[in-house]
Amino acid sequence: MTTFLTFTLLGLVLGAVYAIAASGLVLTYNTSGIFNFAHGAQAMLGTFLYWQLAHGWGWPVWLALVVVVGVVGPAMGAALHAVIMKGLRDTADVTRIVVTVAIMLGMVFLSQWLWHPEEARVVEMFFGADAKVEFLGVVVRVHEIICLLVAAAIAVGLRMLFTRSRVGVVMRGTVDDPDLIRLNGHNPDRVAALSWAMGSTLAVLAGILITPIGGGALEANALTLLVIDAFAAAMFGRLRSIPRTFAGAMVLGLAATYVTAYFPTDWTWAGNLRVSLPMIILFVVLVLLPQDRLRGAAVRTRERYRVPTVRRAAVWGVALVAAVVLLMPLMEDTSITTFGLGMTFAIIALSLTLLTGYAGELNLAPLAFGAVATIVAFHFGITGTGLAARLTLWGILLAVLVAAVVGGLVALPALRLRGLYLALATMAFGVFLSNMVLRDTVEHTLFGVTFSLFPNGALIVPPLQLGPLDLRDPGTLLISATALFAAIAVGLVALRGSGYGRRLAAMKDSPAATAMLGQDLVRLKFGVFMLSAAIAGLGGVLMSTAAGSVSGENFAIMAGLSLVMLTVVGGIGYVSGALFGGLMSGVGFVIIIGTFNDLARATPEMATIYQTLGQVVLVATALIGMGVGKNPSGLVHDLFDGYRTLRGARPVLAGGAAAGAVLYLLALTGVIGNWWFAILTALLVMTLPALGRALMPRAVLTEEELARRRSVPPELAGIDEPYTDELRDRLDQELGLPAREGRGGPHARPAVEEGDVHAIA
Amino acid sequence: MPLLETRGITVRFGGNLAVDEVSVGIEPGRITGLIGPNGAGKTTLFNTVTGLLRPDAGQVLLDGADITRLPPARRARLGLARTFQRLELFLSLSVRDNVRVAGDIRRAGGHRADVGKETDRVLELTGLSDIADLDVSGIPTGRARVVEVARALMTSPRVLLLDEPASGQTEAETDAFARLLTGLAADGLAICLVEHDLPLVMRLCSTIHVLDYGAVIASGTPREIQESPQVIAAYIGTEEVSA
Amino acid sequence: MKDEPAPLLELAGARAAYGPIEVLRGVDLRVEAGSVVALLGPNGGGKSTTMKVCAGLLPLTGGELRLAGRRVNGLAAEDAARLGVCSIPEGRGIFPNLTVRENLWVATRTGTRLRDMEEAAYTRFPMLGERRDQLAGSLSGGQQQMLALSRALGTAPAILLLDELSMGLAPMIVTQMYDTVAQLVAEGLSVLVAEQFARAVLPIADTAALMLNGRVVSVGTPGEIEDHLSSGYLGG
Repeated sequence: MTTFLTFTLLGLVLGAVYAIAASGLVLTYNTSGIFNFAHGAQAMLGTFLYWQLAHGWGWPVWLALVVVVGVVGPAMGAALHAVIMKGLRDTADVTRIVVTVAIMLGMVFLSQWLWHPEEARVVEMFFGADAKVEFLGVVVRVHEIICLLVAAAIAVGLRMLFTRSRVGVVMRGTVDDPDLIRLNGHNPDRVAALSWAMGSTLAVLAGILITPIGGGALEANALTLLVIDAFAAAMFGRLRSIPRTFAGAMVLGLAATYVTAYFPTDWTWAGNLRVSLPMIILFVVLVLLPQDRLRGAAVRTRERYRVPTVRRAAVWGVALVAAVVLLMPLMEDTSITTFGLGMTFAIIALSLTLLTGYAGELNLAPLAFGAVATIVAFHFGITGTGLAARLTLWGILLAVLVAAVVGGLVALPALRLRGLYLALATMAFGVFLSNMVLRDTVEHTLFGVTFSLFPNGALIVPPLQLGPLDLRDPGTLLISATALFAAIAVGLVALRGSGYGRRLAAMKDSPAATAMLGQDLVRLKFGVFMLSAAIAGLGGVLMSTAAGSVSGENFAIMAGLSLVMLTVVGGIGYVSGALFGGLMSGVGFVIIIGTFNDLARATPEMATIYQTLGQVVLVATALIGMGVGKNPSGLVHDLFDGYRTLRGARPVLAGGAAAGAVLYLLALTGVIGNWWFAILTALLVMTLPALGRALMPRAVLTEEELARRRSVPPELAGIDEPYTDELRDRLDQELGLPAREGRGGPHARPAVEEGDVHAIA
Repeated sequence: MPLLETRGITVRFGGNLAVDEVSVGIEPGRITGLIGPNGAGKTTLFNTVTGLLRPDAGQVLLDGADITRLPPARRARLGLARTFQRLELFLSLSVRDNVRVAGDIRRAGGHRADVGKETDRVLELTGLSDIADLDVSGIPTGRARVVEVARALMTSPRVLLLDEPASGQTEAETDAFARLLTGLAADGLAICLVEHDLPLVMRLCSTIHVLDYGAVIASGTPREIQESPQVIAAYIGTEEVSA
Repeated sequence: MKDEPAPLLELAGARAAYGPIEVLRGVDLRVEAGSVVALLGPNGGGKSTTMKVCAGLLPLTGGELRLAGRRVNGLAAEDAARLGVCSIPEGRGIFPNLTVRENLWVATRTGTRLRDMEEAAYTRFPMLGERRDQLAGSLSGGQQQMLALSRALGTAPAILLLDELSMGLAPMIVTQMYDTVAQLVAEGLSVLVAEQFARAVLPIADTAALMLNGRVVSVGTPGEIEDHLSSGYLGG
């Protein structure tokens, strides 16, 4: 009985911390409509800072608490709202989710930069782990009592705030009807800022309280995910009700401790089960939620994508393979292997182009389906042993099939609901997989079969052999992966242009209208999710063979999230966005960090600067992800737009191509190193449209843009801005003087007098 | 006999009675008008008929069969099509693809027809051929309304429900639209028109139902409606006025 | 030069649009201090949009909005409210998930103590006092409008904007509501009221304006406007 009481109490303590975290989440979601995936990362960052102050610098605990919970917490929330969240109005669900995911990743990178991950840090319990009280035969730590008290105080405080104070009532009113709140003289933005400040504070508080309970050293990823467990609690209240969220948190906390306490110790899954329990519960709650009502809501979002023709896509596909073939002589074997690995990531990213770009649904754990396929291929798809071991085609097909089926099963409960819930379901699956399956290294006996899903924590996946095609050679693998990427990409473009693709686009734009045309939405979503999971599975198996040996780390949820983020940054509506996202997340990071580390080794006196630069690049990538709110269509969209305008400026295009060829030759002959080649080529590609605008404005700019350029009244030319040749041109035009050939260069145009003659004539 | 029929449809939102035991019929080959002041429950009735809302009481019958419990997609496949008061176009598709996708959906359900050809025919019929390849997000509202009608027609419906199709249209567009509707009705389509442009309703409809506070307060020919004291009261106030 | 006080609220050539759709196409309208202006016309004529523009919920795309003679284009709704432009929007003047008392608390901060405000509201409409802890969404339509009106009055506004007060209300309740408004007007309140149910509002109006197709097509005394109504509405 005492054991039971003890575990119940521990469960309540855990639940109390979940409740604190989850109520913050519900708060921000309701006042701003943004589900904050960065909630856990905020908790993590706050906890690290608390550690720094209280343990690192030895400040008194109370002072550290006041600074972190009282100042940094609210300031972080208010800043997030002011800088990022406010700008997310009129964006699609996908954009909102990706922005908060980017914030989460950015915070994790930032913490790993500031606090080196290999150093062990421990956050102590309040009043120490030995401060205990005995109550009815149950021994309780003071820290645990504090957790309970804080949660109770927050529950009462929130209730008072929302029912007894004017501010709280206005907050609730904002949820109902922001316009009516404005008509009553309150600014909904300020209300939202306040709720972000409160949400952030609650996250930080939860982080500081839960870290010592979990025990062990402070670790950024783990702590971030720990607070994400609170998502499940928030789901109990359907992201709306705070009392129900508290109840859910208690259920969660109790369930987790009872599993630890009462599951048979010889049951090999118990430990992993306890860790994945919140995500399993999240899943169950999703299944039980009632169906969303279909309502007309064609939102005018800012995302815009252009669809290329299949022919054009095919040309680009061939060009891509050709470019890779041309690049191979430049690269060492290890680079080729890395590049090949990146290409397999790009294939996984294509699954997102289909699902998110075309159908408007989100999968936050694309790598999880890669993991499923890898496990299947490892267990059922290998012939031969040792160096002669090869993956069979049938093995890959089976793996892809299983990935698709598992995808369907994961998606099924969430398909009746809004996009956010599918995103959460996939995330839950991803975390579950990381915890349960990828850590499943011990052997079980089930129905007389002894097996282990992930033996020894690492799977050796041999290369694929297909008749004469043997992917053991890195070059063959790279070219095969590139060709496969191109083939799938062209296939997707063709799909988008087909009736099926139009149906997906219709569903994304207006579910209500699509249903009213006779489309069964659940069936359509189900199908596209399975197809997307199949692509992710295929990419995943290839990734595993490219890597040779994979561990759970390769499929970690964070890696999947960064793939999603970078693909959206690249442009989720474009297959080229997938190429960018895949290459960047698959190998870009590795290469960049590696390069800076090499530089640091080469020049020891600059070592710190280079290492810092490497970290800055990581955080900067996340910053770009946050910028998705400002530019939701993605980088390649801008790049394409830039090049589209260059169509009229053939000389610029030709010049660019020539410069590229020169660079290539220089690299091939070893005059410039590969890195210079890569950097200069990237620069060239990025700046060509801008160059075009500068050199040949008439050919590149549209009438409107030209008109805007003329917006300064000509009379002011030379007064408000320097009197340039371009301005003189503009003046000519304003005065109705005829335009002339060969503008742009400062001396290209003849003297003004000639113009006057024309005008008089 | 009416093709589409509601029997005692009642919808409550919280304590508010939005639709109050409405029984109306829509007949093939005719345009039936549904008018009433703002908030009278017209759009709610449409949503109930098309399955976006479940009524608290009453039945919806299509060709004599009870469809009250069917999901929207099933009803659509039985021949029900509608347009939306707040436009619900597929903004990432061109005008042509907005229409064409309706055919794609049908074909996926086993219908065999040349979708491309059918799309061209519908675009021609609705007078959209000249803007067929433009992005639908860039066209003016008046024509966007016609795109919604064209999209609905692409499903070869038996009943067409139009929710304020003329709002945002220029006079010339409204005239062309009126001709289109008359033609469609002549081909046997059952049309129900919710519209605030009352002169248009009077011109097109053979029967008009007037909704007020969720209930039908009058039904009849345009002349009867124009002379009904209840209707004048619903629109203007309680006293009789002379024009 | 005559020293005539500027109207309390004025629209001059006001234009407004929802995206590409222009809804107001040059609206001219004046509300003098202490007067009641009724904005009439069929649905889709632009009445509600005019009200939104006056309340600051929708920016002008052309023309001017003036408060007491000062140009205030681009004024945010929350600032308009603090300046004393108090509005009850169409059909949803209340927060259904807040209680009656909480609905009153949302009122613009003007220094009036909450308790005094509640007191005033419950005195004017005793049935609100009886239901002070009930959710506003469970009140009848008429009671909801009374609640909205009470909240508006608690802030002692300079001008009250009423949009379709009658929407979804039984005729008898509508008459009652406008009797209340008439009382307030007698106490010196200025009101701009948009109403398609013209009969109800004409008796209390000083001026009436008829809106069609995004313009004010005629302005006059209620008697003058009454004669145009039938053709304006029913087109017959």
